[in-house]
Amino acid sequence: MTTVAQLLPIDLSAIGKEHLTLAVIGYSVVFLSLFLLFLVFTVVPKFFTHNLRVKIQKEGGAEKAALVNRMVPGEVSAAIAVAISLYLEELHDQETAILTIKKVGKSYSPWNSKIYNVINFNGFQR
Amino acid sequence: MEGIVRFFENSGFANATPGHLLMILIGMTVIYFAIRNEYKPLLLVPIGFGILIGNIPFVEHAGLHLGIYEDGSVMNYLYMGVLKGIFPPLIFLGIGAMTDFSTLISNPKLMLLGAAAQLGIFLTYLGAISLGFTNPEAASIGIIGGADGPTAIFLSSKLAPHLIGAIAIAAYSYMALLPVIQPPIMRLLTTKKERRIKMRPPRSVSKVEKIRFPVLALLLTGFIAPGSLPLLGMLFLGNLLKESMVTKRLADTAKNTIIDIVTIILGVTIGASTQATTFLTRESMLIFVLGATAFMISTAGGVLFAKIMNIFLSAENKINPLIGAAGVSAAPDSALVVQMEGLKADPDNHLIMHAMAPNVAGLIGSAVAAGIMMSYLL
Repeated sequence: MTTVAQLLPIDLSAIGKEHLTLAVIGYSVVFLSLFLLFLVFTVVPKFFTHNLRVKIQKEGGAEKAALVNRMVPGEVSAAIAVAISLYLEELHDQETAILTIKKVGKSYSPWNSKIYNVINFNGFQR
Repeated sequence: MEGIVRFFENSGFANATPGHLLMILIGMTVIYFAIRNEYKPLLLVPIGFGILIGNIPFVEHAGLHLGIYEDGSVMNYLYMGVLKGIFPPLIFLGIGAMTDFSTLISNPKLMLLGAAAQLGIFLTYLGAISLGFTNPEAASIGIIGGADGPTAIFLSSKLAPHLIGAIAIAAYSYMALLPVIQPPIMRLLTTKKERRIKMRPPRSVSKVEKIRFPVLALLLTGFIAPGSLPLLGMLFLGNLLKESMVTKRLADTAKNTIIDIVTIILGVTIGASTQATTFLTRESMLIFVLGATAFMISTAGGVLFAKIMNIFLSAENKINPLIGAAGVSAAPDSALVVQMEGLKADPDNHLIMHAMAPNVAGLIGSAVAAGIMMSYLL
């Protein structure tokens, strides 16, 4: 009978120094790349927000400046979205009552041409 | 009479082997689950049908130019797109045009989860070495843990083209089976209290930030791992086309026409590459075992790292460790699994938005991992 060890002949001694190096360096570089992205995208927005705050403060709006980058709670966003949706739907309550039927143009193709039909019924007309 | 005999000898009936019949059965099973259970149907239907096409028996190398491995056959020409690594970057272009990085930009610390969940790639690589695979083969098998089909195909096309079929089928099959593979590991590694953690809603992200992301991310990742450029270059190009709002037509083409055409050809050729005579080997079976292990380790890596991060985060900034499982990429399937698990613990806790961040970070992470392995081993 075939055993699991025969099906999966694991030989840990086959893992050499170079394999471990690749695994460790590889994983570290993946981490490093995403860590750098994390750093950049944590710092950059703060930098831009700071600039905006300074600009608004110069224009004399200290209170306005404090509002920069303030979080809008999800509930507020949802309420605004519902309000806009309801408002837009109400606009469609009264239709213009003008119905247009668009003519669909049928482009020519030899694949749908009557003259290439296998059975040309025109020939059977009496 | 001789003609009839010759005709019969060339027919599928005369050349059928139990292997062909088994593969046809597998193909039909794949199609069944893709349609009946909607398991990744866009990929598994073409792959399943490709398995049928590739396993209709015929006389190989008789000058008929039929098989995918026969020079000059139509399937061989289509398969070139896989072998030369052309299709995966095109798919990444489409993915980029479809992906919204907003949640990642609004909460950049979640990028680390996308990195942590790549653990499966490197541990599986070591596992494959211990099972007797060569260095390039082991790297190609390990990348299955990135849970990203195009990346797995891209790397194996460069390092181990003879294993593409098995690797791609394993990657896509396990991606379809994420709702079965991930939840037990997620529940095992988290407490009910942790699964109930409600995260702060993501902040709104400006248009400028969205445009800045693909450019900066490409520069950073490209300089660190140039090997990932074909994938990440196209991913971020697709995203810039979307976010710039001035190339809507190009973005639409990338995310609809191009990705659809490439997916069909890629799926069919990958399926057809599983010809019984080359696919039913001991190596293929081991790849399937290692692939499942890779998915499990990656899931565990993401969840455990989220728990470690929570040690250093303040009470209001705590993250729900379930979203770590979404770091395995497989966008958006693993994020959906996280959402479902989150709802099971607390029906009011919607985690999908948060889970999308490690999900797309995982996409970047697995492409970087592929780039590193390629530059190291080629």
